[in-house]
Amino acid sequence: MELERISVVLRPRAPREALDLGAALLRANAAAVWSAWFAFTLPVFVLCNALGLLLGLPWLGLVLVWWLKPLFDRVPLYVLSRAVFDRAPGWRETLRGQRQWSWRSTLAGLSWLRIDSSRALRLPLELLEGAPRQQRAARWKVLRRRITGETSLLTYGCLQFELVLFLSFWLFALLLIPHEWRPESLASFFRDDVHVAATPWILAGATVAYLAMSAIEPLYVACGFALYLNRRTQLEAWDIDLAFRRLRARLQGLGKLLGVLLLCASALPLSVRAATASVDVPKPVASNLDQVFGPPAGADRFAAAAAEVYRDPRFGGERTVRRWSFKYASEPAARAQPLAFPLLARVLAAVFKGLLWLGLIGAVGALAWFAWRWRGRRVPAADETAPAPLHGLASVEAPSPLPADLAAATRALWQGQRRREALALLYRGSVERTAQLLQLPPAVGATEADWLRQAAAIADTERAQRVVAIVRAWQFAAYAGRYPDDAAIERLLNGWPAQAGASA
Amino acid sequence: MLDTVREIETPEGVSLRLRAAGALPRAQAWMVDLLLRLVVLFVAMIPLALFGKGGNGLAMLLMFALLWAYSVVCEVWLDGQTLGKRALGLRVVKADGTPVTWLPSVVRNLLRAVDALPGVYGVGLASTLIDPHARRLGDIVAGTMVIHAQELPAGQQVPVLPALPLPHVLAADEQAALVEYAERAGQLTVQRQEELANLLTPLTGQRDTAAIRQLVAHANWLLGRA
Repeated sequence: MELERISVVLRPRAPREALDLGAALLRANAAAVWSAWFAFTLPVFVLCNALGLLLGLPWLGLVLVWWLKPLFDRVPLYVLSRAVFDRAPGWRETLRGQRQWSWRSTLAGLSWLRIDSSRALRLPLELLEGAPRQQRAARWKVLRRRITGETSLLTYGCLQFELVLFLSFWLFALLLIPHEWRPESLASFFRDDVHVAATPWILAGATVAYLAMSAIEPLYVACGFALYLNRRTQLEAWDIDLAFRRLRARLQGLGKLLGVLLLCASALPLSVRAATASVDVPKPVASNLDQVFGPPAGADRFAAAAAEVYRDPRFGGERTVRRWSFKYASEPAARAQPLAFPLLARVLAAVFKGLLWLGLIGAVGALAWFAWRWRGRRVPAADETAPAPLHGLASVEAPSPLPADLAAATRALWQGQRRREALALLYRGSVERTAQLLQLPPAVGATEADWLRQAAAIADTERAQRVVAIVRAWQFAAYAGRYPDDAAIERLLNGWPAQAGASA
Repeated sequence: MLDTVREIETPEGVSLRLRAAGALPRAQAWMVDLLLRLVVLFVAMIPLALFGKGGNGLAMLLMFALLWAYSVVCEVWLDGQTLGKRALGLRVVKADGTPVTWLPSVVRNLLRAVDALPGVYGVGLASTLIDPHARRLGDIVAGTMVIHAQELPAGQQVPVLPALPLPHVLAADEQAALVEYAERAGQLTVQRQEELANLLTPLTGQRDTAAIRQLVAHANWLLGRA
C-alpha cells in the first residue's frame, strides 16, 4: 500500500465524524460505485425473482436479494478502496477484480455471520487485509475496540434509511394518486387489491425495496470503510506517517541542493564573495513602541478624555426603570392550597379567561397607540412648508450652465457670504474645464477622488496642482465645514481653471 | 483531497474549520429528540387527562409547542443544540460559522414540513445524502448547517525531556506533525514508533530508540520547554 497516493485527508476523527467521511467518499465516486453496483446486482435481482416466480413463491426473490447483501457489498468496497489509494475503476474492471478477493469471508457472511451488526467494519478487514485466521481474530479485536457503538449505529441507521426510502416511495405514490382512485382504507386496499393480484404487488414491492437497498447499501459499505480508515489512522498514525514522509523528502531534496551549492561555492569562490559584498545594508528598523506609535498621551489628557466618555449617558449614570410588580404577593400562595379537581379546573379556566381579556385589551391599546402615533402621516398637507434647511446643506442647485467668467461669479458669491455655493461653483467649473482639457466624456457619477486621479493626467503640472487644490478646498468645505481664507480663494481664482483664457 | 470540512477564512486571515455532520448522526439525534418529546407528552397527558375537554386542549397546545417551538427554543438558547444534538455532539451554526439566531432557526424548523415529506423525512434524507455539506432543504434555505461540536480528546502530554533545538528550520505543519507525534506516540506500538521515527533519520541522524527520544526532545523544544 502506498500511503502517499491516498486521496482523503487523514487526521484523527471522532468515529461519528468518520461516518460522514464515508458519505463524502461515496458522493465523490458515485458514478463508479453505482455503475458497478447495478452491473453486478441487477442480473442477480432479476434471476432471484425469476426463480421465485418459477417456484411459485413470489416473495422468495425479495428475501433472496436481501440475504445476498454481503455478496453485493464486495462491489462498492472494491471501487472505493481502489478510489482512495489509486483511482476509481470502471465497472468491468470491478467485476473482473472480484476474483482477486477470497470468497471464504463472503461465504461466512452469507451463512452464520448474516445477522452481524458490524459487517461494514469486518468487510475491509477480511477482504483488504486477507490475513491468516489466527492473526485476523486478534486484529479484529483491536480494530473494533472503542468503535463498537458507532458500528452498530451505522448498521441500524442504514436499516432505518432503507425503510425510510421504501416507505417514502409508497407514501409519495399515495399523495400523488387522485382522490377518487384511492382505496377507502388500508384494510380494504390489502383485501381487495393486493389479495386479488398478489404477485404483481409483491414484485413491485421487491423492486422498490431493491432500489432503496441500492441507494443505501453502498453508503453502508462506504461508511464502514471510512470507519476502518479512521481506526487505522488512529492505531498507526497514518497522518503523521504522511507528514514525516513529506518532511523526509524535503530534507533529502534540501541535502542534495546544499551539496550542489557547496560544489558551486568551492568551484567559484570569487563570485560568491562578490555576491555577499553586494547585499544591501538593511534599513534601521523601529525597535521600540514610541518609535512606532509616537509618544503616549499625557496622563491628564487621558483622564480628561475618560471623564468626557463617562459623562455620556450610555456609560453609567442613573436611570429610572418602571416595571409592574405584584401588589399582593401572598394571594397566589393562598390559591395554591389543595382544591378539588373541578374547582381547580374552574380557577384555571378563570385565569385563562383573564389572560385572554388582557390580551384583547393589550391588542386594542396597541392599535389605538399605533393610530395616535401615525396620525396624519399618510397624507401630508399640501400647503406644508418645506422643513428648515439643515446647516450647510442648503441648496444643491440643479446644474445650470457655467457662467462665462467663472472667477468673477465665484468671487461675487464669496463676497456675498455664500461661501459654500462659491466653492461648489468653483469645483464644478474646474472639473468641467478639466474634462474639456482632457477631452473626457461627461461623467455624472465621478467623485472628488476620480477628479484627483484625472488631474494627475494633466500635462501642465501647475494646472494639475491648481485643480488638486480646488478639489481639496471643496472637500474641506463640503465635508468638514472648513473654509479657506480670502487670500487662499484669490490664489485659487488666479489662472487657468477659473479664468478660462489664462495660459497657466 | 477529500474531506468533510468546510473552511472559512475570516478577514483577519484566521481559518475556521466547520466539520459538517452527515445524515447518520443527525438522524440519530432526531430520534433522541423524538423519544424525549414523546416521553414529555405522555407524562404530561396523564394529569391533563383528568381535566376532560380543557385538559385535552392543553395537551394539544403542549404538542404544538413540542412540535414547532422545541427545536427553535433549544437552538437559540442552548447554543444551537437540541437535547438530541447535544447527546450526539452536534450543533447548528450559520453557514459562516456564527451562532444560529432566531430567524434562521425559525426558517429551518418551519421547513421541516417540507423535509419531512412524505411523513418519514424522505426528502430530508435525500437532501442530506446529496448535499456536500449534508444540509437538508431547511438548512439550505435558512443558510445554516449542522456541525460536529465535540473536539477529539487531545493526545497525552508530551513526555518531558531536555529540549533540543531543531537543526533545520521547519514549516508550521511540519512542526505540528512533530508535536503530534510526541503526543500520540504513547498510543502506538513501540515498533510503529520506531518505524515512524526512522523516517526522519535525515533530520535526527539517529535510528530506533535514540531517534524517538530525539524527536520527543525536539517536540519539547518546539513547545517552549527548557
